[in-house]
Amino acid sequence: MGNVLNILFCLSLLYLATTTRVTAYLQVFVLQSILLFFIVMMPLLNHLSVFTLVLPLTILVVKAILIPRYMKKKIIYELEIKTTIEANIQQFNFLLLSVFSMVAVFVSCNLITKDAAVDPIPFAAAFSSVVIGLYVIIFRKKLIVHVIGFLVMENGIFLLGIAVASEMPFLIELGILLDIFVVVFLMGIAINKISSTFAADEVSALDKLKN
Amino acid sequence: MEILSKITIYMVFIFAAPLFMGLVNKLKARLTGRIGPSVFQSYYDLRRLLRKETIYANSASFISRMAPVVSFVSILFAGMILPVSFTRPLISFNGDLILFAYLLGLSRFFQILGAMDIGSSFEGMGAAREATFAVFAEPIYFFTLGSLAFIFGRTSMYEIFHSITLGDPSFLVFIVVASISVFFLMITETSRMPVDDPNTHLELTMIHEVMILDNSGQDLFLYQYSAYLKILIYATFTSNFFNPFSMAENYMIGFLVYLCVMLVLICCLVWIETMLGRFKMKSIPQYLLFAASIGILNLLIYSFFRK
Repeated sequence: MGNVLNILFCLSLLYLATTTRVTAYLQVFVLQSILLFFIVMMPLLNHLSVFTLVLPLTILVVKAILIPRYMKKKIIYELEIKTTIEANIQQFNFLLLSVFSMVAVFVSCNLITKDAAVDPIPFAAAFSSVVIGLYVIIFRKKLIVHVIGFLVMENGIFLLGIAVASEMPFLIELGILLDIFVVVFLMGIAINKISSTFAADEVSALDKLKN
Repeated sequence: MEILSKITIYMVFIFAAPLFMGLVNKLKARLTGRIGPSVFQSYYDLRRLLRKETIYANSASFISRMAPVVSFVSILFAGMILPVSFTRPLISFNGDLILFAYLLGLSRFFQILGAMDIGSSFEGMGAAREATFAVFAEPIYFFTLGSLAFIFGRTSMYEIFHSITLGDPSFLVFIVVASISVFFLMITETSRMPVDDPNTHLELTMIHEVMILDNSGQDLFLYQYSAYLKILIYATFTSNFFNPFSMAENYMIGFLVYLCVMLVLICCLVWIETMLGRFKMKSIPQYLLFAASIGILNLLIYSFFRK
């Protein structure tokens, strides 16, 4: 069953490479967060208690509700951002690049985890999430898409934490979650400020900003 | 005796092919608020074409005469490899999944040759498009069926499909995902809606229909019939992932499951055709690559999965 969630996680990454809508990017992020919730919940099902439920529920609230709502209302609607992402390279090439890197990541993760007591599939899924989040930041022009790319990367790091540590240091994860929320909040304010003083939501326009 | 029953099943399969298309067209018409043609309209069309005279262009060589026949016969042979019932199909040996792919490839190749042979620029354009999209469609087949072959360690289509059991839930999702990418393949290979609009009459936007513009009479009959057969073959191929014929030992239940899967497929096809518009030509390779990458992902996950 855990495999199924990881397949869906990887598929959502591939979907990032085919879609051209900003809102679809946000929806993929929400889907990934819900998948993360189930992945965290899966091993906890046998010994359910209030204490173990804190982390999954915080993930669900922060990542699947608070951050997407904030981004949708405060950034996408208020700034009237155009719905298409502006790409530096063609979508087809982006997808090809993602697939090749995913294959490379899976093969290398399988080699790395051969002797270690680490489940290779969540490990590889997490790693490819980090890589594709990085590609999103590199190959997209819109600032808001950069924020989502960053969030996808963070999802990957979170999944990596689950894959590597069987016993999760969950206070640290909670701290990370808080940090993420603050970072997204700050990024939102920054994008708001930029667009109110300087009518641009693309990275390419930012190099005209000079003293 | 067994061979006789195999041949009977195969004949039924062949003769039911236009019915599938008729059902799709009827349902599509009802969904858009029209009454639509009869379910048997495809049969009437075929009969009409068979009676008509075949006319060749002045510039046509022997390839134009040969192409429809070769195309049709290779589709017929591909139908013989596909497992449709409880028994082994008519042709079945180790490695027949590669023969299946290349019989369909041969059919397409001759269709492309026939289109180019006439020398019309429109048909050449359609042929170029068909060849381009075929390049992206073939990996879908090999990655999805290849991953199944890899998992079970078998190379014959009948054995692969009869090894599928739906007990394991994680395997069930794998099957559903694989059948979705084969559904993508079916849409591409049979030139249905998101990839190609079969109803359009503007040559610039057509793929499959533009290639057979200059064919008439019996040649057109062969092309149409092979198109009907092709879509039924791919639909059965998709339904085989759910393995209706070995899950239930009972003939009746197996057949009912098969019919249900077919009905679901028809509904999906119709729903997609009414809801979606045609993709831009530019973005079709990207969608095909997406379907192929689903297969790659399955292969990766199941080859690295350690119990």
